[in-house]
Amino acid sequence: MAARHGRTERSIQELYRDDPERADALAFGRRGALKGTALAAMGAALGGAIPFAHSMPEGTLPALFARPAAAQGTAGSGAPQVLRMEGKAPLILQGERPLVAETPEHLLDEPVTSYANHFIRNNGGVPEALSGDPRTWKIRIDGEVNTPLELTLGELEARFPVVTRQLQMECGGNGRAFFAPQTRGNQWGNGAISNAEWTGVRLRDVLQAAGLKPSAVFTGHYGADPHLSGAADRPAIARGMRLAKAMDEDTLIAFRMNGQPIPHIHGAPVRLITPGWPGSLSQKWLTRIWIRDRVHDGAGMGGTSYRIPVRPIVPGSNSNGADFAEMESMPVRSILSSHAHGTRLPAGTRSLDLRGAAWAGDLTVRAVDVSVDFGATWTTMQVAAPANRHAWQRWTGRVTLPSDGYYEIWYRATDSDGRMQPHAAANWNPQGYGANPISRAAILVG
Amino acid sequence: MRAMILVAAIAALGIGVALAQDRQDQADAARAIEGAAEEETVLPDGEGRSETFAYCTVCHNTALIRRNRLSRDQWDGLMDWMSEKHGMNPLEGEFRDTIVNYLATHFGPAQAPARGRNPFLN
Repeated sequence: MAARHGRTERSIQELYRDDPERADALAFGRRGALKGTALAAMGAALGGAIPFAHSMPEGTLPALFARPAAAQGTAGSGAPQVLRMEGKAPLILQGERPLVAETPEHLLDEPVTSYANHFIRNNGGVPEALSGDPRTWKIRIDGEVNTPLELTLGELEARFPVVTRQLQMECGGNGRAFFAPQTRGNQWGNGAISNAEWTGVRLRDVLQAAGLKPSAVFTGHYGADPHLSGAADRPAIARGMRLAKAMDEDTLIAFRMNGQPIPHIHGAPVRLITPGWPGSLSQKWLTRIWIRDRVHDGAGMGGTSYRIPVRPIVPGSNSNGADFAEMESMPVRSILSSHAHGTRLPAGTRSLDLRGAAWAGDLTVRAVDVSVDFGATWTTMQVAAPANRHAWQRWTGRVTLPSDGYYEIWYRATDSDGRMQPHAAANWNPQGYGANPISRAAILVG
Repeated sequence: MRAMILVAAIAALGIGVALAQDRQDQADAARAIEGAAEEETVLPDGEGRSETFAYCTVCHNTALIRRNRLSRDQWDGLMDWMSEKHGMNPLEGEFRDTIVNYLATHFGPAQAPARGRNPFLN
């Protein structure tokens, strides 16, 4: 099968890669309908007939070819490199130094993300493991406070109410690979997301104990991870947030993940969890929170870092980001976890029971819709309520298929303000934040 | 009663030791991946490869280079960004040209985004 279709597959793929406009014109013809020999060629390239070819949009590359490499799954030849680490699933290895790994969407099928399937993002090096009693780990709260505090983990746990919540954590650059032209940074698909159960104390309780001065407006976070260069006087990253988010009841100083001490790679023994905002605000190996009288200016602040255009800029153009705005609540996004991209199903399969998750930063998800006919018609999925505020929402539903052949499952979430995932990644910016287009998974029946 | 407390204390100590070992193992595993040696041949052959490999891998491995497809301007701007934001020794003159040229030549923009493979042909 592979050999028989090899030549055609390569040529169409090459055509699309080298000259998408011409490829599209050839495949779809001047009237924009995929038919005749072009349809046959496309079907051969995809490995099966295309039952909904009549609604396949011109100018849209089949998902089979369009998915970023990192979102192509982890099996077979040509697949991206995978993480080989004890206790961890074979995540997609984005880089070794800094160590960064993405969770393929189909491994995010658990309502509560396990250690094995939790993505990894580091900005600096992984620090040495703490050899002594983790309860002696200290964090400092200073700056614009009446009483600077130095608290051990033991004191944090004893002195403040301990809460447990399911909380989303998502890299600010999740979805970056969907931008065209490509932007710099980890080429994430949709898998830089987790929804683990975190236990800790509320940051606001600790800040209130320190007493905020009227001048306090922003936080600045520091951790124990070394800068990549090894420079001891340079933090790996030091981000901060508006005080309103720091005072949110779901912003935690966490010390347990899924009921266990936080695994080392995820920031043991103490980290921030700032759900719904860029994951870099969930500082790992937390050592200090500096309360600022201005917008924090640490590493990873200002310019084009974690900032997005207020007025769109020309994709691919240079910008110093001076008039960008801080990226705060993350945009609406959905994942499909029941079927990996590239799933092949037995001939005669006529319906699919789909599952996934969706979330929308500080907002909630109102709807998830799925299309198997290239967006011509959409089927409404059932979206469960979040386990608590800032937890992701699981969705389920069934779609029917008229015959064997090549299908794309398009999945799209709508947030509680009515904003949907767009058809293409919008508001291009140099470091690639906020790409949340409708995602597409290819499946083959028969 | 005292015996039970003693047993519980020993058990707790055991768990503590086990957790410390877990932390150590996790840290070791992560640091082993970070520290894995790379050869410069992981980068495509061409003028400036040795310079690029040597200068860049002081801080990060080549995955950070290899995953990017950027224009010459973008690569050039990145050199300043690394100096300003991450304390890299500023790259100037011919040496800078050598490295930027190498990156722009071998990791220039793809005409279309990098496409995936066909998962049905595995």
